Amino acid sequence: MLKIRNFCIVAHIDHGKSTIADCLLEITGTVTQREAKSQVLDDLDLERERGITIKSHAIQMKYTAKDGENYILNLIDTPGHVDFSYEVSRSLAACEGVLLVVDASQGVEAQTISNLYLAIDAGLEVIPVINKIDLPSAEIDKVKGQIIDLIGCNEDDILLVSAKAKTGINILLEEIVNKIPVPKGDENAPLQALIFDSVFDSYRGAIAYIRIFNGTIKTNDKLKLFVINKEIEAEEVGVLGMQKIKTKSLTAGNVGYLISGIKDVHDTKVGDTVTHSKHGAAEPLPGYKEVKPMVFSGLYPTDSDDFEDLRDALDKFRLNDSALVYQPETSVALGFGFRCGFLGLLHMEIVQERLLREYNQSIITTLPSVEYYVFNKQGEKIVVDNPALMPQVAEIDYVEEPYIKAQIICPSEYIGNIMKLAMDKRGLYKNTNYIDPTRADLQYEFPLSEIIFDFYDKLKSTTRGYASFDYEYMGYQKADLIKLDILLNGEPVDALSMIIHRDKAYDWGRKVCSKLKELIPRQMFEISIQAAIGSKVISKSVVKALRKNVLAKCYGGDITRKRKLLEKQKAGKKRMKQVGNVEIPQEAFLAVLKLND
Amino acid sequence: MKQTALYIHIPFCKHKCIYCDFYSIITTDNINPFLSALKKEIETYSKIYSKDRIITSIFLGGGTPSLMNVDYLNEILNQIHKNFTVADNVETTIETNPDSISLEKLKKFKNIGFNRISIGVQSFNEDELKFLTRIHSKDAAVKTVKNANRAGFENINIDLIFNLPKQTKEIWMSNLKQAVSLPITHLSAYSLILERGTILNKMVLDGKVTLQDSDYDADLYSSTIDFLTEQGFKQYEVSNFCKDGFECRHNNSYWHYKEYLSFGTAAHSFVNGKRWWNFSSLKKYISEIKNCGTAVRNFEVLTKEQKLNEYVMLSLRSKGLNKNEFTEKFGSAWLKEKEDYFSKLIKNDFFKNNSETIKLTKHGYAICDEIIKNLL
Repeated sequence: MLKIRNFCIVAHIDHGKSTIADCLLEITGTVTQREAKSQVLDDLDLERERGITIKSHAIQMKYTAKDGENYILNLIDTPGHVDFSYEVSRSLAACEGVLLVVDASQGVEAQTISNLYLAIDAGLEVIPVINKIDLPSAEIDKVKGQIIDLIGCNEDDILLVSAKAKTGINILLEEIVNKIPVPKGDENAPLQALIFDSVFDSYRGAIAYIRIFNGTIKTNDKLKLFVINKEIEAEEVGVLGMQKIKTKSLTAGNVGYLISGIKDVHDTKVGDTVTHSKHGAAEPLPGYKEVKPMVFSGLYPTDSDDFEDLRDALDKFRLNDSALVYQPETSVALGFGFRCGFLGLLHMEIVQERLLREYNQSIITTLPSVEYYVFNKQGEKIVVDNPALMPQVAEIDYVEEPYIKAQIICPSEYIGNIMKLAMDKRGLYKNTNYIDPTRADLQYEFPLSEIIFDFYDKLKSTTRGYASFDYEYMGYQKADLIKLDILLNGEPVDALSMIIHRDKAYDWGRKVCSKLKELIPRQMFEISIQAAIGSKVISKSVVKALRKNVLAKCYGGDITRKRKLLEKQKAGKKRMKQVGNVEIPQEAFLAVLKLND
Repeated sequence: MKQTALYIHIPFCKHKCIYCDFYSIITTDNINPFLSALKKEIETYSKIYSKDRIITSIFLGGGTPSLMNVDYLNEILNQIHKNFTVADNVETTIETNPDSISLEKLKKFKNIGFNRISIGVQSFNEDELKFLTRIHSKDAAVKTVKNANRAGFENINIDLIFNLPKQTKEIWMSNLKQAVSLPITHLSAYSLILERGTILNKMVLDGKVTLQDSDYDADLYSSTIDFLTEQGFKQYEVSNFCKDGFECRHNNSYWHYKEYLSFGTAAHSFVNGKRWWNFSSLKKYISEIKNCGTAVRNFEVLTKEQKLNEYVMLSLRSKGLNKNEFTEKFGSAWLKEKEDYFSKLIKNDFFKNNSETIKLTKHGYAICDEIIKNLL
């Protein structure tokens, strides 16, 4: 146990977390250069593309230090996005130390800070690292200053590294051995092992990644999971090299995997504690939380006939993603689909993208929504995550919506732009700190509903990509929220309804009406488009009836071509959604999602 | 005896007009090899199809068949009569361009057996004729129609195009007035179609020409129907109008889902539920015929559903869908399924209320494609 070091890396996107990890793996001989696909730890294509780690991973390295001793270094990767902050906190809980990696030209960013605070809260030893020191745009002294202000270390404590050029890595390895505390714990005490991640394997079922705090797990041990209170058997344990390496046992201080015949990841809950079923620990490790979805949206198959396919895809997807929740719902406009709950916006995008890429599902998504608390006149609280469930205006006493605490870090010249954006998004200004004379750290409170829409894109464009943004949930506050309906020829299109602040309803209604007018093709009958709050119409537009659509010539040589055109149009019609006698093209639903672009 | 229409495609033109997407070529090379090939093709097919079949109409289209000399055309007609059984009252049409066709030549057409003539006037307005790159003048057009009548043609069609770029309603109505003042029995009034691959299409893509919008098109179409109806013409297809008793028997064969055999480049035939079409390239056509007697580029055997679709589409475009005839061909299930939709269309004045035939109204014709799309 004295020779084990458990650590993770905290960094903002693109600051080089994966490159440093790869470099450590290569220098310790865990992977050869030939084996090293770039950025080994990012498994999913999507992760590699976005440069964001979505799932945590762990890998073990062997390192012979200058003192001549052989050490075991367990690197536990952490997701880099706020949607997954609970998972981050559990990964951090499995470690004794953390590398704080900051890009030498970009400096400290919002995610660096939020994850660093999590690490400090978890009591970890912080090793500050400035990466990419070989870049021509590196401002090492400035970044050093930022780090010193942030964690109060000495200048000498900061390591200068270029993972790309492999400079400074040996010193970094020595620091890991020397500075990161030896894991505490007693291998003879009752077993306490923390599940910090779990993955699904189609042959083995759920594979739990665990950190043993006390005791020892041996193969065939009878075990118990605290949260789900279920007895399992250790079919296989081992450590995580480039592949899984089977071992007879895992002892306190170490990190490894456990396979126990559990079918999917819902029973291997991140944060749960594993112990022995007999003579087990009395208490679980602290810190377990049930993850709760924060953002909701309807997912519908593009072609209504594909509903069962979508269900199958979600069922499979769920084996791998314990945070995704869904249940069937129906929409008048879109037919049968699912209301899905996500941890956040990124999680939602990832699920949609992976359903498309890996499960080949073509889907329509409805406007994302948060969970509103609606209090009726009888004083009852109704939880509304779908505008369709909003009670009638007359029954509502008041409505509350979830708020977040946001941190935006940007060069000071963009403060004006950000303040304007924040005002548009009903932001409540709290405070400004300066990280250094040119960079400001702005603190705001926002309704979550304003953030889930297009906030991040707008923030990026109004600051030319220089701002970084992070947030945490705060709780609920009262707000003047109403349900805005969109009606076509007097019939509400449920999939286009939204819950919105009264002040914004008029502008939104006008935009939707004019966008739909543009996208709904002229049809045999006139189509009136209305935006309404209850029975009050606040905006309208009209798609005039089609007056002429007939091919002038249809002789012997034209018939085949004309029939094929009709067959094609008929197939296209199948993808249209029918509300009353109005056909709505799919693009209309998608366009409403992007209305503010 | 199965009644069958017969079409011959003559690909030669003096000049290619900007809006035209028919297969045509401007050189006179291969005129004679084409004739030999055509005669051989007629002979080949007659061996398979002449039995139990009577030709009720012959139509020479193109291209510009009137460019060919009379003997050339006579040889084609003779070849048909020699190889097929032709009805005594056969309708025999030739397409004609108004440029430089003399009264004498028109008389000869009549003599060798043509009894219907279709004249590609397109417009009586000099500016429009220039825009369309037609090579005749307004006067030539008027004269040709009168000469055709003088030559003894009692069944004369002219083609006109409306909704041309910049065409005002006044210009179009004056075209129509000019048309009905002439001794015609039939008028095809086509709304301009922008065909892919035409010069006009490129002009539009390049922004040199702007098309008028579809509401304007609808106005012109509506006025056309009103005016021609007043003038004693009846509309019997989307774009076709005639005096009583002068429907084009040949074109009705297409629209009434009858069988037709076609010869020449790019020609489409439809017999026994199978449709096939010839190579468009003149050289390819000639060499294929030389080698194997036919020049089929491709074919399709229609499924029942495809037949139903075509039948509905064609009948709605023309005389209307006769419920009895439909039920004989396809059974009654489809009609039952569509009953509600039909009543809705009747209520909204797109269909006429007639228990035996489902027929479009004036408004219905104007959005015929939309109706068919929703129906099928």
